[in-house]
Amino acid sequence: MRQPLRLRLVLRDLSTAAAFASMAISSQVPVWTLVLFALALIVALTGRRPLARAPRLTALLLLPVAGVLYLAVAAGQMDLVVAACSFAGIVAAQRLLSESSSATDGQVLLVGLLMIAGGAALSGDLVFALCLLAFAVLASLSLGLAVVEAAVPPGEPVPVRAVMRPLARGTILAVVGAVLFFILIPRLNWNMGVHRATPGLGTATSGFSDTVRLGGSGTLKSNPRVVLRARLTPDPVRTEQLSAYWVGRTYDTFDGQEWSTIGAAKQRHRTRVTLRPGADKQVYQRIELLPAYGSRTLIALETPAKLGNALMHTPTGDRRTRLQELGGDELRFVDDGLGYSYEVYSLPPGTDTDPGRMNQTEADQLLALPENLDPRVEQLARQVVGDEKDPLAAAQKLSTWMQREYQYTLELSGDLADPLVDFLFVRKAGHCEHFATALTLMLRTLGFESRLATGFFGGERVGEEYIVRAGDAHAWTHVLVPGRGFITVDSTPPAFRANQSLQVLQSLISFYEAIEGIWRTSVVDYSFRDQLDFMRGLSRPPRESSSGEQRPSGPPAGAWWTAGLVALGVYGLVRYLSRRPRRSPLGEATRLVDAVERQLTRAGLPPQEGETLEDVAARFTRDAHPLGPTLAPLTRRYLEARFGQRPLESGERARMLEDLRRALDTWRQGSRSNAP
Amino acid sequence: MSPSRPSSPWRRLRATLRPPRTLKVTGMGRTYLVVTFGVGLGALNTGNNLLYLVLGLLLSVIILSGVLSERCLRDLSVRRVGGEGAFAGEPFAFRWALTRREGHAFALTLSEVDVPLTGEGGVGHLPAGVEHVVRADLTAPRRGPVKLVGVRVTTTWPLGLFAKTRVFPLPGTLLVFPRRGFACATPEDAATGHVGEAHHPHRMDGTGDLAGLRELGEGEDSRRVHWLKSASVGKLLKVEREREERRTYVLEVRAGLADEALERRCEEVAEQAHRLLEAGHEVGLELPGQRLRPGAGSGQERLLLRALAWVGFEEQREEAA
Repeated sequence: MRQPLRLRLVLRDLSTAAAFASMAISSQVPVWTLVLFALALIVALTGRRPLARAPRLTALLLLPVAGVLYLAVAAGQMDLVVAACSFAGIVAAQRLLSESSSATDGQVLLVGLLMIAGGAALSGDLVFALCLLAFAVLASLSLGLAVVEAAVPPGEPVPVRAVMRPLARGTILAVVGAVLFFILIPRLNWNMGVHRATPGLGTATSGFSDTVRLGGSGTLKSNPRVVLRARLTPDPVRTEQLSAYWVGRTYDTFDGQEWSTIGAAKQRHRTRVTLRPGADKQVYQRIELLPAYGSRTLIALETPAKLGNALMHTPTGDRRTRLQELGGDELRFVDDGLGYSYEVYSLPPGTDTDPGRMNQTEADQLLALPENLDPRVEQLARQVVGDEKDPLAAAQKLSTWMQREYQYTLELSGDLADPLVDFLFVRKAGHCEHFATALTLMLRTLGFESRLATGFFGGERVGEEYIVRAGDAHAWTHVLVPGRGFITVDSTPPAFRANQSLQVLQSLISFYEAIEGIWRTSVVDYSFRDQLDFMRGLSRPPRESSSGEQRPSGPPAGAWWTAGLVALGVYGLVRYLSRRPRRSPLGEATRLVDAVERQLTRAGLPPQEGETLEDVAARFTRDAHPLGPTLAPLTRRYLEARFGQRPLESGERARMLEDLRRALDTWRQGSRSNAP
Repeated sequence: MSPSRPSSPWRRLRATLRPPRTLKVTGMGRTYLVVTFGVGLGALNTGNNLLYLVLGLLLSVIILSGVLSERCLRDLSVRRVGGEGAFAGEPFAFRWALTRREGHAFALTLSEVDVPLTGEGGVGHLPAGVEHVVRADLTAPRRGPVKLVGVRVTTTWPLGLFAKTRVFPLPGTLLVFPRRGFACATPEDAATGHVGEAHHPHRMDGTGDLAGLRELGEGEDSRRVHWLKSASVGKLLKVEREREERRTYVLEVRAGLADEALERRCEEVAEQAHRLLEAGHEVGLELPGQRLRPGAGSGQERLLLRALAWVGFEEQREEAA
């Protein structure tokens, strides 16, 4: 038996790995499946096939695995699609470790195909596209090599180099064909089954907890991952960088170490929540919280008034979810999902707002101080603020002073007994939570009501949307101003409010996010409507723009391009058809003989038994038959075409047959006139 | 070989309706189609765009397979190089010469079409402008002339999902000799005739022409040992003399035999002739309506085998002639 080509096996194993990865990136495949497959892959890549000796026995072991997965599905602990994908992964692992044969190779690649389909059902990330591409390339190369290897006689080398180039070209064509098919095939179903599955680049890194604890290293600020996408209407500022506060929740109680909220959660779940009365010129936001966000707390531009129409993205599809109101103006999605979409109406910045519904206890808590607050904090506050009575002016004085006197740093010494004193009097450096905590408590020591707010600051424009990164997580202070509601005062130096990630890393992530955005809009969310728009764009001129630009006369550029491509395709088809090999000379010549013999038979001159056309022509010439001069060149031409490598030209057969028909007619007329 | 009579209308109709290429789905291709169908259903059912994308890839691979396999089979020309002696029931080497005018072809397998010959030859890569000789071990089930119609060239390129076949019309005849290895006894009553100087073939007086020396076999008469030569080479050598050792046999296939009996007789005669010729005797053949004069050597054996192969197929022989 021939030893299989090692390169082919490596390509096969890697293609299976890419297929498995397309499922694994959804983070829904059980860990034990991941471990088993990874082990099998490593062993297979080293060239060892330990299950080769007992393929049937090990195949039987798959049955209990299938049973366990079935029980998990029946018990509701596992999704059916996930279970099927896990089983496909285990089958692939078993096949990878079995003896290589054409049947095994086919099974491995087909299981890979099933895993790719499973990955499509579980994940919608850009990484899936990379896995799909890798699988297509590696599997095509492996299959192509297998085909050639099977055709090469034993003992002869497999022409790997000669095969690789046409295979690569073919794979590229297949991918282009897939894209064309994807664009053009009519969608018979609206795009309902899309799963936005995973955080993509690892686990979720952001999130809101019920408390904010001072200390830690503050590494979140250097995380450039995108956690939120928002489309704003009207767009408040046409700028690349949005200096806006995206509030998540507020805290009113500080115990010296961490912030919390005394407000209790409301039991009632609603699809739409109104936090405060609306106003003119509200900012509408369509927000999508991505899986990287990792929390159920709703985020909205300050100051949110109404929130609702929430959709939850789960592995089994999108569905509506309801909201629960908690203390600290926090709204949470009731159900756990991988991501969420919802709508928000926010009051524009500078608008006087209602402070929201607060009971007396909650209102009193806005002045609460920790029991063991160092008296130097109040002294310092009075020293900075002086006799200022206006809470907003006092807050701004303190904020300006802190931005001037204190340093921003992400490097802290960790948990301390009194982090506020450490910040204000020892290190004089900290991150946004220290600045916001210090400002809030100093205001409270002076009798001004205030609270800590957390959320995000900033926003980068990407296309028509704004994105917010995990590193944009921020904390600031809400000062309650009588008659105007809570006003935002941020004591963190402006340069350090947004994310502090490395520029290179941020650029890379931005690049990835931009591609992912294209992937999302062009592929994942591509719908029948998009198809119609695409086709319409090819054939109709664009509508008149609102800016008053004159509508161009004549077809749009897209139509010209389409017409050009179609013309090119038609030209290529004609060239192809014209270059197709014509009927073989043998067939043409044989048909000529058949036709000549038919005409002679009809004219009453059938060839004798066993007589060939050459014999007939020779007989006619010998007998000085009137048809001899016509038949002789015809026979010579037949022999040339049949044996002399001079095929009949186009229409030559018809011409010769026509000449023969005329000669026969003449001969018949002559025969009749000579008849007595 | 010009056609003397027009072929029957039915055959012409069949030839007209015969597609230029035939396509078969391989085992893996069948599963691939099932998976494609399933993914298509899943895409339609869920509207999942990624499934549409996967479906697009699967379908474009199918189309691409058709295009690339067609390109593989285009611009090819085949001719038969032929083979060595083809004996019924055992593999024999057969060769085709394959040429491609332009472009490259991959994973081609060649076989004879519509004949009871099993086996095929393959070529992994066929560059343009080079005549590549493809060798195959074919097996014919029975003796006789095999009318070759054409050569079937099949490729599963590029991915092994479909096997596309093109038939190159290439008429010809392959003569299959009788099966070898038939147990037979040396003909006792066939020792007739003579060669050499002596008139009596059974005279063993040691005066015949020297034919050669060969190793003394088991049970052979030690009086024929050439002691001097044996001593020089270190083993017993026997003197062969023409009129003593070489005899002339005329083997016969009687008229009236048919089917299995004829086959067995042909095989037996072929084997007897082979053994006798190997032993240095002369062998002739008496066939119904044909007689071959006795002769010796491999050329004679080939003549005998050809004659035996045609026994029972005289009509076809006349046609082929």
